[in-house]
Amino acid sequence: MPAASPGPAGPSPGLEDLHPALWRAHQLGRPHENTCASGFAALDAELPGGGWPHRALTELMLPHAGVGEFRLLAPALAALQRAQRPVLLFDPPALPCAWSCQALGLDLQQLMLVRSRPVRAGLHPAGRPDRLRERLPAADLLWTLEQTLASGHAGAVLAWLPATLGGEALRRLQLAAQAHDGPAFVLRDVAARHRPSVATLRLMLAPQPPDGLVMRLLKRKGPPLAHPLQLALAPVLSAAARRRAATRPGLAASRATTA
Amino acid sequence: MLWLALHLPQLSLEAFCATLPPQRRARPVALVAAHRISAVNEPAAACGIQPGARRATALALAADLLLGQADPERDARALLAVAHAALAFTPSVTLQGPAIGSAGADTVLLEVQSSLRCFGGTRALLRRLRAALTPLDHRLQIASAPTALGAALLARSSLPARDRHAGSLAQLHERLGSLPVWLLGPAREHAQTLQDMGLQLLADLQALPRDGLARRFGEALLAELDRAWGHRPDVRAWLALPESFSSRLELHSRADTTEQVLHGAEVLLARLVAWAQARQARVAAFTLRMHHEPRHRHEGPASTELTIELAEPGTDAAHLQLLLRERLARCALAAPTLELELSCDRLRAGAPPHAELFPSRQGEAEGLARLLERLRARLGDEQVQWLHARADHRPEHATQLAGTPPRRAATPPKPGPAAPHAARLAAPGAARARAAEPLPLPRPLWLLTEPLPLPEREALPLLDGQALHLLAGPERVETGWWDGAPAARDYFIAQAADGSLVWVYRQRLPGSCAREPSWMLQGRFA
Repeated sequence: MPAASPGPAGPSPGLEDLHPALWRAHQLGRPHENTCASGFAALDAELPGGGWPHRALTELMLPHAGVGEFRLLAPALAALQRAQRPVLLFDPPALPCAWSCQALGLDLQQLMLVRSRPVRAGLHPAGRPDRLRERLPAADLLWTLEQTLASGHAGAVLAWLPATLGGEALRRLQLAAQAHDGPAFVLRDVAARHRPSVATLRLMLAPQPPDGLVMRLLKRKGPPLAHPLQLALAPVLSAAARRRAATRPGLAASRATTA
Repeated sequence: MLWLALHLPQLSLEAFCATLPPQRRARPVALVAAHRISAVNEPAAACGIQPGARRATALALAADLLLGQADPERDARALLAVAHAALAFTPSVTLQGPAIGSAGADTVLLEVQSSLRCFGGTRALLRRLRAALTPLDHRLQIASAPTALGAALLARSSLPARDRHAGSLAQLHERLGSLPVWLLGPAREHAQTLQDMGLQLLADLQALPRDGLARRFGEALLAELDRAWGHRPDVRAWLALPESFSSRLELHSRADTTEQVLHGAEVLLARLVAWAQARQARVAAFTLRMHHEPRHRHEGPASTELTIELAEPGTDAAHLQLLLRERLARCALAAPTLELELSCDRLRAGAPPHAELFPSRQGEAEGLARLLERLRARLGDEQVQWLHARADHRPEHATQLAGTPPRRAATPPKPGPAAPHAARLAAPGAARARAAEPLPLPRPLWLLTEPLPLPEREALPLLDGQALHLLAGPERVETGWWDGAPAARDYFIAQAADGSLVWVYRQRLPGSCAREPSWMLQGRFA
């Protein structure tokens, strides 16, 4: 036969060139969709495509609201807003401070708050997931999110979802997100990390004293990341206060016992 | 002069069937006027029921026949919507019944000679007219002729559709001549006599001596014949468009669910859009009033009113329907609804913005406005908001929520309450280089609506049973003595046990003593 097949000479070098959706298990995936830079070089290096994925859900899991999640996302959100693309917050756990948003470089004109239920039930003082809210059906929130994602008119979407949300609801959102040319962040309690999820990128965040953030990549297109990433966020504390935080006696003792 | 005639042969039946569910429409339906069948739909005609039959005969032929009462007012409301749709194409629109001056008009006449150039010829005009009438869902017979009555007669005739158009008077005379005499109003009362005399067609009448015709059948028949032929002037009163829109629709069966209400409201929305387009304007707000069943009236309100305001005025019936659907889904019906009334008196004049082929910034902004409108329709107006920054040192006053976006400041916003703190935390000279390097964040992102009192041990606040480690502060806020919400607080940035940063304050009100909780949690840095 003249048209002989390429011989069985080991793995062909162009296997991952066959289709952009193909990648080897030891490589990072190369999403053919757009991504947007996160603003942290160490993080971009570990994310497939070098940034937050567009047209897909990104799931962030936090122990409670207020671990530095907004400072992590703010550079990407601000860059989107500079391109005249609005940012929508769905059911934030508390009221965002307008001055703080401006200090993070966000444009208040392009920052919208959407709440699926009246304010009283939505805000919990201590930033922990509200037990009552977790129990209430989230139909309105899911409908709102699906409409927003499917419309494709939003720049970035941040949604605080209950940890008890079922997998099929996330699947619907993931389908709707395919029409959304921008990052879609879903923020949930860490209790959700054992639940199955269709999000293409799953991260677990925890505070890192002083004034930092430590991140575990639970799921990405590529090999799992063994070591956690430590990120230096936009500083809240002055240099003197950082030194004070580092010399905290109680914290040092607790570290010594765990180590 | 070029006249278009839109004849609606099934007007009263369609007006009655508009509120029926589709599966019922596919079964026999007939209308009754004065104990005689006046109109039948196709399934009923297939059973052998004919107009003019007795009610009992009709019921004997089809047991599942749905009989409705003919209602001239209902027909008139439906025809008015067709006339409104026609008014978008020409200001000269008038209604025409089977005979001049009689009630029960079922034909709309348009004089379109002066509109032809604007719309690009008769063919293009007809195409657009048909498209505008599609949402109203009527069967149409369209004719065109140089005289008004000629067009009306052609539209009512049983000629094939392509023979209903006469371009010149000679062609019109030829076409009219072949029509039966009973189409003329005054000829109907003499129908028997005319038939006995062997006068079947209008051409036969035209051939007779005029004075003899006038003597035998009256001046009226001759006058109408002359108007149709164009030998006598035909003076018409033009239809005037009302300033505000209001239309009612009686539901065939009482509506218990919002889905049934929505089905009826679709008909009214199509009429609203026709009216708005005739006014060359876009709908800015409309009101749907649902009249409830009388026997429930002593318990609840007689009617429920829903007002829907549009962020961006429009005439897209599908979008209006979507908004109404979301609003209806949120509203609980107090009692079954019998009648719907749609009214609108808020219009935005002017042509709509141009549609774009390729996505553009304008299209994006409009799409976002529509999306927010849809979310508001479902969740409520107060659930979609923007943050407003106000220059106040108290965090509960510095951030405000409002339903409109903040105005973009022409100059860069003043640092406001952040300034003293930032200046103190940052190195000297940092204020000048502020644009270049990131500012420390003196305010937490998450603010609690109500500060949470914290327990205290050894003069230190506790969060979740663990002592907070105060890292920065105090930042003293002492303000508001003039507006009734005085604040005298010392703010600290503290580190919680897990390493996250929180914002706490200590009350410094002069009257309060140490016995009441003095440490409060104000926010969390995110």
